[in-house]
Amino acid sequence: MEFYDIGLTLAFIVFGAGVIRRASHWFCLRSSGSFSFTFAGAARALIADVLLLFRTLRTSPLRWAAHCLVFFGFMGLLLFHAMDDTVTAAFFPNYEPTLDPWQFLRNLFGAITLVGLVLMVLRRVMQEKLRTLTRFQDWAALLVVGCIILSGFLLEASKIISPVVFDDMVYEYFVAEEGRDLTALKAYWTKEYGAVFPETLPMDADTLEHGRELDEESCADCHSNTASAFVSRPLSMLLTPIAPALDVSRAHEVFWSFHVLFCFIALAALPFGKFFHPISTPLNLLVRQGRRDGAPMSGRARKVALDACTRCGECSLHCSVAPVFSVLGNENILPSEKLLSLRKHAAGEPLSDEVLKAFAEGSRICTECMRCTDICPSGINLQDLWLSSKAELAEAAPEPDRAVRGMSPDKWTSCLVEAEGVKDILPPVSGLADNAESFWACVQCTTCTSVCPVVAVSEDSTRDLDLAPQQIMNLLRMGLKDQAIGARMVWSCTTCYKCQEHCPQNIRVADVLYELRNTAAARLRAADNPCEDKGDLS
Amino acid sequence: MKYAYFPGCKIPHHLPEYGSSVEAVCDAVGIELAKPEFNCCGYPVRHENELASIYSAIRNFAVAEEAGLPIMTPCKCCFGNLKYAQSRVAEDGKLAVLIATLLAQDGLAMPKSMEVFHLLSVLDEQVGAEFLRRKTATPLSGVKVACHYGCHALRPESVTGFDDPLAPTLFERVISALGAETVEWDLRLECCGYPLRGRDDTISEALMRKKLENARAAGADIVATACTYCQLQFDRERDALPFNDPLRKAPPAVLFTQLIGTALGLDAQVMGMEKNRISWQTASL
Repeated sequence: MEFYDIGLTLAFIVFGAGVIRRASHWFCLRSSGSFSFTFAGAARALIADVLLLFRTLRTSPLRWAAHCLVFFGFMGLLLFHAMDDTVTAAFFPNYEPTLDPWQFLRNLFGAITLVGLVLMVLRRVMQEKLRTLTRFQDWAALLVVGCIILSGFLLEASKIISPVVFDDMVYEYFVAEEGRDLTALKAYWTKEYGAVFPETLPMDADTLEHGRELDEESCADCHSNTASAFVSRPLSMLLTPIAPALDVSRAHEVFWSFHVLFCFIALAALPFGKFFHPISTPLNLLVRQGRRDGAPMSGRARKVALDACTRCGECSLHCSVAPVFSVLGNENILPSEKLLSLRKHAAGEPLSDEVLKAFAEGSRICTECMRCTDICPSGINLQDLWLSSKAELAEAAPEPDRAVRGMSPDKWTSCLVEAEGVKDILPPVSGLADNAESFWACVQCTTCTSVCPVVAVSEDSTRDLDLAPQQIMNLLRMGLKDQAIGARMVWSCTTCYKCQEHCPQNIRVADVLYELRNTAAARLRAADNPCEDKGDLS
Repeated sequence: MKYAYFPGCKIPHHLPEYGSSVEAVCDAVGIELAKPEFNCCGYPVRHENELASIYSAIRNFAVAEEAGLPIMTPCKCCFGNLKYAQSRVAEDGKLAVLIATLLAQDGLAMPKSMEVFHLLSVLDEQVGAEFLRRKTATPLSGVKVACHYGCHALRPESVTGFDDPLAPTLFERVISALGAETVEWDLRLECCGYPLRGRDDTISEALMRKKLENARAAGADIVATACTYCQLQFDRERDALPFNDPLRKAPPAVLFTQLIGTALGLDAQVMGMEKNRISWQTASL
């Protein structure tokens, strides 16, 4: 039992320390912002959202079914099997794990948990989008729970067929009065309970009847027929051919060790990553009380929300800008992945420049459409998390617009024109700005400039905008694209298309300005923070 | 009349009154709305990556085609970008192949037909001004309305085909049917300034100021908008100005669906008039 005690103590220490560490984040902030909490609302949320998982049902009935199977199956096992000394024995004084209904229920709960886990694995494997988002912790969580259940079934199956376990029980609870007693009992247990003995036993009716009587006297008070163990018993039959080998290697002890080891791993892992969701998600659901809006939250509610993600991926499957992710390949565009970065960022962990750049890109590409918030089965107010972090991220890793405006012409030239491999970068959709045919018809009539509302509201357009639209067209006509891109006119274009509509020569002025912005964005994206490095030198 | 309703990204959180009034008006005039799951129209990301923008747009057409319906949107920017993407794919074969590949990765096929309408066009062409006139329970008599067209539906006309880009009349036709008086104003086709929000707030505000002051000078009581972004600019962004800024006194912006709903006598709560930050005192009605 040493292994058990040491393991349990260690697991509890890790669990306790981890939970304190995570929960301490929730309380380190002064609470501000709106926070409405009523006990009636909490009670409703507890029943509908926590216990019956209504929010999950709303999103996906299949996922709801899978989660319910795992949730109720595992909770059942935890309460009446793992904590049988404290829970089950208290309610049922005659409790024995090998008696029905417990033997049956253990198999039932184990089986439904396993079915739920299989559904969860299938969901992640079959849905291509979800498969690419699935990370180590997602598989790890499924694996640990799966191993607990499987090792449990193997433990029970190996005990059913084990002569050693039988002999131990006989030694403790059975007194043979006649020489044939033990043989009869063994024969009866072989026939009825599926035990497997190395010796050949007489199977005649007399012996079995005698065995039945002995079983009734000595065993039946604590042992129901193993047939009710509807998973373990068939599993034991599969193991029968290797039963002698299992017996010699004391397989049931090995399986027991694995079973408790996986339980300890699960307990110790509980405060980490998504393993924490059985604690944090119900808490978040209680805080949210059924709401699905994106109203600003208190700092404390935000911290709880950050921890409540189960990584189910529903937000990313329905994200409005998921097609942008398909093109750019930046996972931080998708809510479930952006949340990982935000959690690190909020905890004060330093992010590498590369990750910060990707995170900021994900932050600004979000269109704040609320869909992730509406759909989140854990009730996380993602909208508020995104909105409240946008300004800071825009500061930390500026978008192309701000980056270009912040550069002096020299810096622009050195970083994004003359730097190696950058000059030739074109945006994925191009062909206007570099194509002489786009401009050959331009007669520099200045119509584009005179209809431009941006030029019109500027008191001094040379000061505010550097170049007028027709001057930009002229530069491009002469192949001076790099000189044009940095001009503020390109960046302060309001995209009203008046220039293009009014151009007597049908030059696509506004489309060209879009393309120039795209070009700068593509170069900034490809360049590995060139301007920060070179900026330090200059 | 059945359409795949494309609300766009900003309505659910930032402008819910547009969504609720659009749905109520459509219901009242017999426009049936289906709600397939669309993605972003691609307009916001066009500044950064046009491929992502065009793919986003075309993907929506593919979704609509699966539903077997044309798209209807109340947002001019969504409308404009969907139209733009359609024209780009039509003129650039290589781009079309690229988009088809991206669609295939998502289990979708390149849509054969790409139809998108702005709600104003549907009301004008399918429902008709005459029908609106008959349906009007409380005519907006005496209300002087400055119709704000919004750039991305109007221009470039060769792409959008919305109305005459130099002298459009569609918006005024719909508003006059409600019994309101439409005013002539010089800057009715100019930009609201919203696209520059966060990029050049000074010019963005200057554009809004010039435009709203022009509407006031033309004697308008209200500015009618038919675009999510224009309304956000004239209402939410204007509300961020200092409390004593005279621009707050310029004509308030009212969504055209709020106007129609008011004229048709629909539930004021659903029209969300109280959600407008720069409120319109409807005492004149």
